[in-house]
This record gives sequence, structure tokens and C-alpha cells, in this order.
Amino acid sequence: MNFKELLKGDFVILDGATGTMLQKSGLKLGELPESLNITRPEVVKNVHRMYIEAGTQIITTNTFGANGYKTKDSGYTVDELIKSAVKNAREASGGRALVALEIGPIGQLLEPAGSLSFDEAYDYFKEQIIAGADADLIFFETFTDLLELKAGVLAAKENSDKPISASMTYEKNGRTFAGVSVKSAVLTLEGLGVDALGVNCSLGPNELKPIVKELSELASVPVFVKPNAGLPDPNSNTYDVSPEEFAEAMSEITDYGCVKLVGGCCGTTPDYIAALKKVVDKKSFRMNDNPKCTSVCSATSAVDISEPRVIGERINPTGKKLFKEALINNDIDYILSQAISQVNAGADILDVNVGLPEIDEREMMVRVIKALQSVVDVPLQIDSTKPEVLEAALRIYNGKPIVNSVNGEEKSLSSVLPLVKKYGAAVVGLALDENGIPKTAEGRFEIAKRIVERAKEYGIDPKNVYIDCLTLTVSAEQAGCRETLKALRRVKEELGCKTCLGVSNISFGLPNRPLINHIFLTMALEEGLDLPIINPNDDDMMGAVRAFKVLSNIDKNSTDFISSYSGGEPKKPVISSSRLTLPEAVRAGLKSEAASVTESLLEKTDAMEIVNTMLIPALDRVGVDFEKNKIFLPQLIQSANTAQVCFDVIKRRLARDSSAPVSKGKIILATVKGDIHDIGKNIVKVLLDNYGYTVVDLGRDVPPELIVETAVKQNIRMIGLSALMTTTLGSMESTIKLVRAEPKLSGCKIAVGGAVLTADYAAKIGADFYCKDAKETVDAAKKVFG
Amino acid sequence: MITLEGIDRAETIRYLGNSRVNMNEDMSALLDSCEKELLRHIEVKYLYKTVPAENSPLISGSDIRAHLKDCDKAVIMCATLGREVDRIIKIAQITDMSRAVVLDAMASSAIESVCARLEKQIARENTGRYLTWRFSPGYGDYPIELQSLYLSLLDAPRKIGLCANQSSMLIPTKSVTAIIGLSEKPVENRRRGCATCSLAGECKFRKAGKRCEF
Repeated sequence: MNFKELLKGDFVILDGATGTMLQKSGLKLGELPESLNITRPEVVKNVHRMYIEAGTQIITTNTFGANGYKTKDSGYTVDELIKSAVKNAREASGGRALVALEIGPIGQLLEPAGSLSFDEAYDYFKEQIIAGADADLIFFETFTDLLELKAGVLAAKENSDKPISASMTYEKNGRTFAGVSVKSAVLTLEGLGVDALGVNCSLGPNELKPIVKELSELASVPVFVKPNAGLPDPNSNTYDVSPEEFAEAMSEITDYGCVKLVGGCCGTTPDYIAALKKVVDKKSFRMNDNPKCTSVCSATSAVDISEPRVIGERINPTGKKLFKEALINNDIDYILSQAISQVNAGADILDVNVGLPEIDEREMMVRVIKALQSVVDVPLQIDSTKPEVLEAALRIYNGKPIVNSVNGEEKSLSSVLPLVKKYGAAVVGLALDENGIPKTAEGRFEIAKRIVERAKEYGIDPKNVYIDCLTLTVSAEQAGCRETLKALRRVKEELGCKTCLGVSNISFGLPNRPLINHIFLTMALEEGLDLPIINPNDDDMMGAVRAFKVLSNIDKNSTDFISSYSGGEPKKPVISSSRLTLPEAVRAGLKSEAASVTESLLEKTDAMEIVNTMLIPALDRVGVDFEKNKIFLPQLIQSANTAQVCFDVIKRRLARDSSAPVSKGKIILATVKGDIHDIGKNIVKVLLDNYGYTVVDLGRDVPPELIVETAVKQNIRMIGLSALMTTTLGSMESTIKLVRAEPKLSGCKIAVGGAVLTADYAAKIGADFYCKDAKETVDAAKKVFG
Repeated sequence: MITLEGIDRAETIRYLGNSRVNMNEDMSALLDSCEKELLRHIEVKYLYKTVPAENSPLISGSDIRAHLKDCDKAVIMCATLGREVDRIIKIAQITDMSRAVVLDAMASSAIESVCARLEKQIARENTGRYLTWRFSPGYGDYPIELQSLYLSLLDAPRKIGLCANQSSMLIPTKSVTAIIGLSEKPVENRRRGCATCSLAGECKFRKAGKRCEF
């Protein structure tokens, strides 16, 4: 009997805790439980045998922590630990039970929360999977980070053909420690093609009921449930549910449907499994006929496309000078601020396009997606014309994204659709092909139909295909608008697909574009548009969507509408009658006031003169007050940020006039390799920015090689390095060594700072400047650039 | 269960590094709103466990030996404010740096209060015994690399989502691990101070001519 056959039958009985049992057999403090596979195989085999005798049909190997990271100091290799574990399980089973290779979390957090990269995680899992080649199937258990689990599932899929069961550990609030929701887990794991998914550990069967209920209403593969024996006492580590109570609660859980694989986690013993078997033997398994989801998600939040949802279009360099500049300068924070403002304005999903000939799009897309997923929780739409960019992004995306896009051309269909299937994404299908955009609704519908059919051939459900019937400029082709809308309605009605549409093209070349845009948007919504791609910061466009939802009885009791507008009209900033001077506004931290003063100054004063005679001296005075303990650090930063607003006004003006940008020099900032605490570096960045320097911010945990490479490429004369801990001072030193070893950087100065650094130590490791705070970094920059 | 109802202002201002500045209305409003936001996102989680204090892999270096002198047992503990706190500080660093600085200082103050309360709880559960103060990896010559041993002994990654990276930094960042010695006889309860602090030479308070008042 193999796993797939077992799944066709009735309930499958799993085992209970292994760790708890081995603990009892006398594991020393700090000793690796997996080492028993080699030192005392009989103990491990005995645990397996006891479970098989209690009724277990699949035993799990004693390999929960047998990964390269956790075992590095154990004296054993992963291969030895896992091979011996599988052998023990096989011998104990003697053909009576299947053997599942147990894989737990690595024990280190992945980026962006931690510093382990997706590829490193993948390699740890790959090593385990290859070592466990003799097992029958793979159990991923107790995961809290969906992206880590995704790395594991991909490693399993790409390095074996074994069935996979993937389970996560949820807290009482229905989320894992990393905030992963049940729905996001189901959408993502089913998309990746696991054979069973579920929940284990952290709670007892009674506390897990609402979570399993939700799983049972979403899943379309069998569900796996292994609760703890109740809740633990924090000090004695004993659990509060008896085998009989456990079995009774599990019996209720199996009534939800979908729940097929049942067993226990911490605190459970063969007695619990025997009691469990007794109850489920009297029942029969039922799979629920859950409707297939049309949702997409991040790890923390799922968006159901059951009503119009707004896709924010602002993360895109096309036609945006500042955005292009940000991409070239690696200014990820600028992109993040665009994301945050769209989400705050009400975007449900964000389109992400970073295609620019000057940069490595693939590498940038990966960086931007990681960064975005660390600050916003809306799902993302990966927008690129290059399959290799799409694949790199799909691999590291945490959740179920949308791919933008595929079209009716064979080359596009055969390169994009396999990726969509493999990574379990949704996809935008453009109703065009090698012959261009058909003029008629009929022509576009035919292409849409072809895309949907090809998607089906690849195993992609039509519900995961969102057709874009394409907006043409009405001033060029007036009849086109009606054709777009006609095609949209037919796609909705006849293909059962969701639809999306970029809207603002419609008004190109006409006066009063906003009016045309929002009327067209309203018309499209009425024809059944699900996913308008718009600028959410445009109040009229967001207003049209909100009003449509009220008038179509989607926004029940107008709840969202009222909460969006109950404050009346958005308040315009009050400009005080007594006009402040620019230095006064900067000092007081009044951003809008300072911006308007800068605007009017620019009418008659040269930009550099404003910078040099007003902004910088004002900042200097605030800096002196800070040094003298007259103001708090946040106040210094407020002033700096106000100056930033003024700089932005000036930059925009210069960009419009196509003059050279105001920059007093380019400085690299980085928190060194291994160090993840970057607030100090970011304070320095704000101040340097506001003094008119261009900062190339390489972020945190930055390898020395990247710093040197960037410095050479961008002809950098000053590098600022930050380290918080004594453990990372070493990597500051090695970074400095590497910079010094590069002849092209012989004129480059290095400034260092950070909590544990001293002037003496800075000199010892060869830094040019020791800066105790952000203000001193500005002083250092002044010395370097004059 | 430890729940924070408020966050210590004086402590926050101390972490901000300029305790002699006069509070004004704007700063006070900023502190209020940061406190509200933090309290909405803090999820206090902690673990502790009594372990033998002798012949333990937890003993390394002379400072911990001095600290646990006369202790036969010790309680190891860890506590965290959770990941959301890191996220809101990160967001503030993009949208409003001055707010980020306050949130950061305030969160440090909050995790300190959590540890203080946990310490009291541990003391209550060990009445009749004498307790040393909290000693953490990284103090004195006590290796910071022991973070991962603490975490694995407490099963912290799995039970409360607390991990360490390769440089032994705790993630979520607003977290603490520590050990408290238990003894049958009174312990010499040396206060933490500059004299016993290994950071004395490089501490930002001392550099500014102040003390951290620990």
C-alpha cells in the first residue's frame, strides 16, 4: 500500500509525539534528539513499534530537527542522522506502516524578518530530502512561516517524486507566529500541489476546532490534524487532556469533513493514538465539496475576487522620472513609500513593475518583492514581460500572487502558463496576440477563449485566469470603447473568468482626463469589471469604485463608504496667516508650510541658493540644539524630514526644468553583514538626504562584496558602515579590508558608527571617521565633499 | 499572563538618549500616539524553565560563574514583544522616521518591563529561595553565541516564534533571553552598574557623560 492508495480509503491514523517519548528515555540537556538514531536506535525503534501497535498507519522518522543548521555542532552529518532514522523506522515497521520523512522548520528566520535567504533554506531542505530518499512520503510539520514551508515543498517537488503533506502551527487567534492565516496557507499550498495539508502542535484538539473548521471549508485536498494533548503547564511541561477526551474531541473534528489524517503532537502517547483509533474506526470519512477559491493572497491576508477589487498601478517606472531615478539608485524605500500610500488609499492588490533597461530587472524584482512583503500585507501582481523575471519572483513570493501577464501568442502561452501552474499563481490574460489587438469584441473574446483553454490544458482553473480586454484611447478610436466593454461582458458571462482592465489610457489626448477616466471606470464596473488597475491615490477613481459598490448592493449598509467619507471632505491643510520663513518652518517641523514657502521662493530664487543659504543653515541650527540637549532626537528628525519635503519640491522643479539634480555627493550606507538592526543607519540616511547628499542605501545584512562592487560601479567617494553588536564588528572590519584592497577605491573614505563602536576601535579597524551620531556623519560628509 | 497596560515614559526618554530635555506638547503627543500604536501590536510571549546550574552547557566564562556562585539551580527565560512590533517600526522608518525612533525606544522600554514582571513571577514561584538578578548572553564575558542554546532549551522558535540569526541577534528584535540563579543562601545581589558592565568602555550613555541607570 502506498500513500496515494491510503488516501483513497477511510481515515488514516498517524502517530503521536516522538520527542516527548525520547525525552523520557533520558536525553541530556542540549543533546540533539536525532543523535539517538545512531547512539540508541533501539529506543527510537521501540517508540515506532509502540505507535504501530496502537494503530498508526504512517510513522514519522525521528528527524524533526535533522537539518544542516541545527545539527552543525552535533558531530553527525544530516545524511547519517536521516539515513539511520529511516532505517530504524523501516525495521520497526516491518511493512506494517508507511514511513514518512519528518521535516521541521530550520530554526532560523527567513528574510525579510530574519537573515536566512530563500535559497539557503531550499538547500537545507534539499539535503534532508535527498538523505531521506528511502522514505515513502514527506511530512513538513510545525511550520509558522509560509515562505519557509514553500521553500521546503519546492525542494521536495524538485528533488523527489514523493507525496507531500504540509502542516502549519497556528495560535488561538487563527494565525501562526508569522501571522499566516489559514486561508493564505490553503491557497498557497494547494497552488504548489501538496497532497495533504493541515495543522499540528501548539494547541489541544478543543482549541484547534475553529481552525480545523475553517480548513475543512476551504481545502480541496485531504486535511491533516495532529493536536497536542491539550495545553501545557509552562513549568512542568505536562498536558491537560486525557486520551479519552482527546479522542472525543478528535471525533467531533472529523465530522467537519475533509479531515482524513489524524494523529497527535506534543504530549500524546500510544494511549492517545489507540483511543483515537477506537473512535474513528466507527466513522467514515467525508470530503467536502468546497467551491474553488478565486482568491489571491499574501502570507497574512487573502483577497477574494468576489467583488470589484482595486489594483494599484503606481509601482511602475513608465513615464515617472523620480521612480526611474529611485530604481537606478537602488532606493527601495522610495518604492516602499509608494506602496504604503497606495494601501492607505485603499488599494486591495499592488501591481509591481520594475522593468528598466539600465538595471537587472530580475534581481531588482526579487529585492522589491521581498521588501514589499515585509511592510505591506496586500497581495502583489508580478508585472514583467520576461519569463525569467516572473519565475524568480514567483519562487520567493510569499503567498499566491497574480502574474501580469500572458497573451494569446503561442510563445507567451507556452512560456508563462507552466510557471503559473508550477507556482500556483493566478494570471492576467491579455486579449491580444502576434497580430496585435483585434478591433472587435468578437476578436478579443476569441483570444480570451484560447488563453483559457490553453490554461486548462496546463491544469490551471479558469477561475485563476483574469482576462484583460484592453483599453484603447478613445480620442484615437472612438468606437473602441464599446468593443472593450462588449468583450468584457462576454468573457464574464461565457468563460466564467474574472476580468481586469487598466483604465486611464482611455482619456489620452483629451482635456479633463479625470472625468473621462472615472466615467469609463463606472461603465466598465457595470459591465462586470472585477479588477480595475488604477491610481488609488486619485480620489475620484477610488470614489467611483466605492460608490459603485454602494449602488450595486455590494457594500452592505454602505459601511465602507460611510467609514471612508464620514469625516466629510478631506481636510485641506490650514495655512496660517502669519507666514513663516523657511528656516522657521524647518525648525518647527511644519511640512506643508515649508513646502509652500519653498514653492514661492523658487519663483524668484535660485534652487541652490535656497539649499545653501536657508535649508542647510536651518538644519545646522537644529543639529546644534540637539547636541546641546535642547531638543529630542525625534524633533531633530522631524526638522530633517521637513527639509526633505523642501528638497523634494526643489527636485521636482529641477526635474521639470531638466536641470541637473541637486546633489552634493553620493554616499553608500550599509549595515554590515550579519547585522539586522538598521534604525541607526536609517536616521543617518534621513539627515544626509536632507543635507543634499545622494544616499545609495544598500540596506542591512550587506555582504562586503556588494559594497565594493557598488562603490566601484557608482564611483563612490564615501562609504558609511553601521554595526550594532560586538559580534558584527568583525564583519565591519572585513568590509573595510575589502574596500582598502580595491585599487579603484583608493580615494574612498569610510565612516563608521553604531552602538558598541568607539573612536579607538574605529581607528584600529582602519576607518577614516568615527561618527557617534547622525549629525557627526553629516560633518564627516562635509569634510569629504567640501 | 503578562499584559502591558502602558509603557514607561521616563524609561522611553532615557532610551531616546536625552533625558534632560524639557518635554513639550508635540513630543508628548508623539509619545501618546506611539504608545497607543505599540500597545495595539505588542503580543507578549515568554517561556521559562528551571535547569541545573552546575555542569551545564550554559556555563561559559568567569562572569556567569561569579553570577551563579552558590546557586544549585537556575531559571532560564526568554520573552518577546512579537514580530508585528518589528514591522510597525520598519514601516515608520519609511513613512516617518521621527516616529520610528520613538517606537523603537518605547518598545525597548516595554520589553524591559515585561522582563521585570516575569522576574517577579519567577520570584513568587520560588519563595524561600534567593534569586540573583537577570544575566543575559552578551553581558561581560558571557558569550552572546549562547543565545541559540537558550532558545533551543526553551524550544522558543517553536513555542513562541523567537529565533536568533547567525550573529546571535534575536528575532523578533524586541526580545530578551536571560538566566536567574536560585540559591539556598542569600546571594550577593550586586546591582548592575558601570563597574561590572562589559560595555562600560563603549556605552553610548557613558560617552555622553551619563549612565544608563540600570
